[in-house]
Amino acid sequence: MANPINTFLLTDLLKGLWTTFKNQKPSLVVTEQYPRERPPVMERYRGAPRLNTHPETAETLCISCNLCALACPEQLIVVTSERNPETRRKDLTNFTYDTSRCMFCGLCEDACPVDALELTQDFEMATFTREGQIWDRQMLEEGPLPTEYRH
Amino acid sequence: MPDTILAPPPPPPAPEATLLDSNELVINMGPQHPSTHGVLRVILKLDGETVLGAECVIGYLHRGVEKIAENRTYQQFAPYVDRMDYVAAVSNGLGYCMAVEKLLDVEIPERAQAVRVILAEINRIASHLLWLGTHALDIGAITPVFLCFREREEALKIFEKYCGARLTTHAFRIGGLQYETHDTFEKDCLAFCDLMDEKLKEYHALLTGNRIWVNRTKGIGILNAADCKDYGVTGPVLRAAGEKWDIRKAQPYSGYEKYDFDIPTAENGDTFDRYMVRMEEVTQSCRIVRQAVEGLPAGPIKGKIGKVIKPPPGEAYVSIEAPKGELGYYVVSDGSLNPYRLRVRPPSFVNLGALDKMCRGSLVADVVAIIGTIDIVLGEVDR
Amino acid sequence: MEELLSSPYLPPLVATLLIIALFPLVAGYMVLAERKVLADLQVRLGPMRVGPYGALQPLADALKLMLKEDIIPSGADKWVFWMAPVLSTFTALSAFAVLPLSDKFYVADVNIGILFILAMSSIGALGLILGGWSSNSKYSLMGSLRAAAQMVSYEVPLGFATVTGIMCAGTLSMQGIIQAQYERGVWGAFDNYLLMLIPTVLFIIAGTAETNRAPFDLPEAESEIVAGFHTEYSGFRFALYFLAEYAAIFVISGICVTLFFGGWLRPFPNVGFLETPLNVGLPVVLFAAIALACIKGATRQIITGFKLGMFGLAGAALLLAALFAVPVINPLIVGLFWFLAKVAVLVYMFIWYRGTFPRFRYDQLMDVGWKWLIPMSLGGLIVNSIAQMLARS
Repeated sequence: MANPINTFLLTDLLKGLWTTFKNQKPSLVVTEQYPRERPPVMERYRGAPRLNTHPETAETLCISCNLCALACPEQLIVVTSERNPETRRKDLTNFTYDTSRCMFCGLCEDACPVDALELTQDFEMATFTREGQIWDRQMLEEGPLPTEYRH
Repeated sequence: MPDTILAPPPPPPAPEATLLDSNELVINMGPQHPSTHGVLRVILKLDGETVLGAECVIGYLHRGVEKIAENRTYQQFAPYVDRMDYVAAVSNGLGYCMAVEKLLDVEIPERAQAVRVILAEINRIASHLLWLGTHALDIGAITPVFLCFREREEALKIFEKYCGARLTTHAFRIGGLQYETHDTFEKDCLAFCDLMDEKLKEYHALLTGNRIWVNRTKGIGILNAADCKDYGVTGPVLRAAGEKWDIRKAQPYSGYEKYDFDIPTAENGDTFDRYMVRMEEVTQSCRIVRQAVEGLPAGPIKGKIGKVIKPPPGEAYVSIEAPKGELGYYVVSDGSLNPYRLRVRPPSFVNLGALDKMCRGSLVADVVAIIGTIDIVLGEVDR
Repeated sequence: MEELLSSPYLPPLVATLLIIALFPLVAGYMVLAERKVLADLQVRLGPMRVGPYGALQPLADALKLMLKEDIIPSGADKWVFWMAPVLSTFTALSAFAVLPLSDKFYVADVNIGILFILAMSSIGALGLILGGWSSNSKYSLMGSLRAAAQMVSYEVPLGFATVTGIMCAGTLSMQGIIQAQYERGVWGAFDNYLLMLIPTVLFIIAGTAETNRAPFDLPEAESEIVAGFHTEYSGFRFALYFLAEYAAIFVISGICVTLFFGGWLRPFPNVGFLETPLNVGLPVVLFAAIALACIKGATRQIITGFKLGMFGLAGAALLLAALFAVPVINPLIVGLFWFLAKVAVLVYMFIWYRGTFPRFRYDQLMDVGWKWLIPMSLGGLIVNSIAQMLARS
């Protein structure tokens, strides 16, 4: 503020006023009107978990190896299985995933050796009950229903 | 409130008692207050509007992160560190991974190191943007916060594209990286740097020259270099006091020695200087990102490391230059899967210690400016 | 009945009732305008969900505030706590009594008009002080102390600037001031070889401070003292404070327009050939453009109700445009149009400052008030009186 003329004419303040004035251009608006406009979610986004099934046979890809449950820092995955006496392999009976405690770190996804468990791009996981946050095998395979908003 | 919690103020000249004699006013600023950046509680002792003393009460966001570490494996704990300084999650992850890597004594491939530097620097910019926005908001300028969030969004998009999360990224893994860079990674980073260079001008036009801003920040919350060292204050606060100390230069890690950048410093150690130092750091971070992106080497992204991480017994301390100052991780291993003890040296917490020193004798309005200029994140202070 | 209709008290009474009934709505829409303009300055959209483009937001807000629980803090002085917002609102609204909204529409044209407004706005400060004190909260108390100090110190430059304006016009009557500007053929702001610009600028600055608007919004500085004097207020009482604040902005802008920008006079009031383009052409084109914008906006709406609402707005704007085109009605409403247009520009400026500047600190505010504004406004007064004298002799 060395220049007294600038001080008197408030040039520093006018500069700021001009900056905000320029920002009024409608094309500069960055607001996204969620839910009317959905934010674009990146391909690698770590959102709602999904238990993948074989695209043709609809059989689960999970081999019940329990690695995801071991990798999970919050121990929120429970894999139950029973040994099939014919194939000598473990068959998945249930798979629960407590999304309320999940922090979407992606460690389970990394641990899965067969790409059965995957974090998807879905991010609308709100429920009205705490119990609704615990997803079972059916929910994990089908995925959450797309949310519809009315206004 | 007991009087003892505050250190006694310098004795005022004994006034003559009159009917209008006023007592000192003790007010609680926070934990619910618009400008204590979360859940910081400051007990202010006031004489009129002059601050006689300030006492921080922390712990409202305590989650026992260090204890959690003792009950998780080394890989499992990595996402938790993101939740300490949640506006600079990448830097936190970098520090933790480097500490464990030091225990394990593994070599990190050059490509992984370069990507780590790029993301950490972009995170530094994002953190400084959030700081600038909220700091300006505390001082009453309500527009910069929206502009800063607009630019921060671009940084978060880079994180989201790279690792799938925006805020608590969990971007790095012990031993290197989990994700190979995406196709447009280099282009995105360079575009972000160009954007920042351009937008910084806008911030400067809004704030730097503005006489109200200058009046509100010049000479406020002075902390000189000697005091900084006494309180252990690091980061931009220390550099604004004239001390040229930056761990990226002093003890280069993750390949910082390869990049050419300056350490911005200032002289007075007041709020305005800290503002200028941080603004300049954004420019320097852009410089580093540009160099790192242009010289991004090809090669593997993960060092030689097993699926199970079981470091030999021993201990390691690694400190990095986080956006807020020196972020240190001290890890003790007893040879098992979990850390025996993990201790974090959070820059926000240590810097917050100087609040009382900086506040004394200033006005209430300055207290919010000073809390803002220290740049605290309560997740990191309370852990 | 006939006696009643011919009573001289009827028109002011009707005008008073109209103002009291309508101003809360106007204030609500001023809040909406503020939110929208601020959003524009900050690359946002502002309210968009209640009604088309947030057009019904003020009504929703008012409803919410009225339905909210009315909390009186346990340690509060109940009567004063109850009185304070009423006092603020009362004084702010009573200033409308002498505001010359147009040459046809005003409550009273008293010969001390401007003195009355200044007196009323000074009492308005009492509302803030009492409210902050009676809340029995430290933040509120600090806010009210700041309000007291600020209002006292900024009333002085405001007064000097006003005196300069009055001196230039030579009367205290609000209508008289506008008449004087018409006779002199120039707006107050550009009188005395542009020297009147000094009090004009000072009036706007001091007026911003007087209405507690940013960057002088210390009494309610939210980042420092939470919400200042109305920290403890909720529900309808809070709404009253809000109403008072916006009424005060309107009144200060109104005085500024009257003193320095020619009140309800059109620009260049003495240039005859501009009569038709400015008084008929401009409003018609403006409202037609608004109608077009509404129709364009309506096409973007998805919800049928919102679409119809936008068409309704377009219809209203078209109706106004048509009204301005009718030669009989035009002279009745064009004064009001110019007055409100000028006030709108000033209110926009108030919002613009708020969107741009950081807040002053308490002591700096006092510095600016006593060390800069008061000497400068005094200087402005002296310089202008000399210029006036030279012009007369």
